[in-house]
Amino acid sequence: MDIQEETSGSTVVVAPSGRVDGFTSPELEKRISEIIERGDHRVLLDCANMDYISSAGLRVVLVSAKKCQQQGGKLSVCALQPSCKSVMEVSGFLNMLEYHDTRDAALAAG
Amino acid sequence: MLTFTEEITLLMLDDDGLFLPIRGGAVEHILIGAVLMDLAFANRVDTDPEQLVVIDATPTDNPLLDGALERIANSGESLDTKGWVELLAREQAAAIRQKVMDNLVERGIIEVKDERFLWVFQSRRYPTIDGRVERGVKLRMEDVLLSDDMPDPRDIALVCLVDACDILGDLFSEREMERVRPRIEQLRKMDLIGREVGAVIADIEESITMAMAQVAH
Repeated sequence: MDIQEETSGSTVVVAPSGRVDGFTSPELEKRISEIIERGDHRVLLDCANMDYISSAGLRVVLVSAKKCQQQGGKLSVCALQPSCKSVMEVSGFLNMLEYHDTRDAALAAG
Repeated sequence: MLTFTEEITLLMLDDDGLFLPIRGGAVEHILIGAVLMDLAFANRVDTDPEQLVVIDATPTDNPLLDGALERIANSGESLDTKGWVELLAREQAAAIRQKVMDNLVERGIIEVKDERFLWVFQSRRYPTIDGRVERGVKLRMEDVLLSDDMPDPRDIALVCLVDACDILGDLFSEREMERVRPRIEQLRKMDLIGREVGAVIADIEESITMAMAQVAH
């Protein structure tokens, strides 16, 4: 898994690629935690290049969203591929998190 | 800290130390679901809707969990979560149940009371002697169910198990249940293992209903 990071306004866009599972999700959790600890509490998880997410990956998304919320910010998600979107829909994650179909739409929403 | 397996066992016991009537009578399946959750939170197994896999076969050093971990790691079988819950419930649940009770007794949370009635039948109860732990677990449940905050994955997992048991009505009053029901609906699918345990128990209930219908005809 590779993780790209860039800042757009007050939002830090985190874009993992490949599989987010029990092997790789600790790295994603660490990266988002570092972003939150340095004071950036608005995180956009751009999933355009993420082709798999397991329950370990889902837990990292939730833990990270909770950390952002505790700091007065938010973690939103965008551009899920159909298979990952299906997992997140079925498990109710998209009812809990703000979701946008594209990165541009997510950034425009603020 | 207690494992999920120990926490859910405490919640399944009534004030007299007997197991509450669990949906489908599926105490074994609930316990195995809790063991798999413990293994997932210990980063030993990972799941998706199609399979449950071992990602690290290193023993956790908790005998309650390591039998199941070893069984899955050495199986060479590719099963989904539901398949493992059913298989381990048959193979290991009785031993796990006994280990949980022994652990809770050893930690001074419950005690063993053996009683005879009609001089012949023996019954064993596990009354609570340190209610603080159980109250703590119930408080956690209340916090997560009565709040709109982003939930913690551990709390979601516990809610899923309690919901699968159908014992929320024993933990909350009717009025509280009305308040927490929408939140339960929101959380009940969020833990993949918890969701599959619920599905296994629904299957068991359906089989019981069908068998009873056949007997009635």
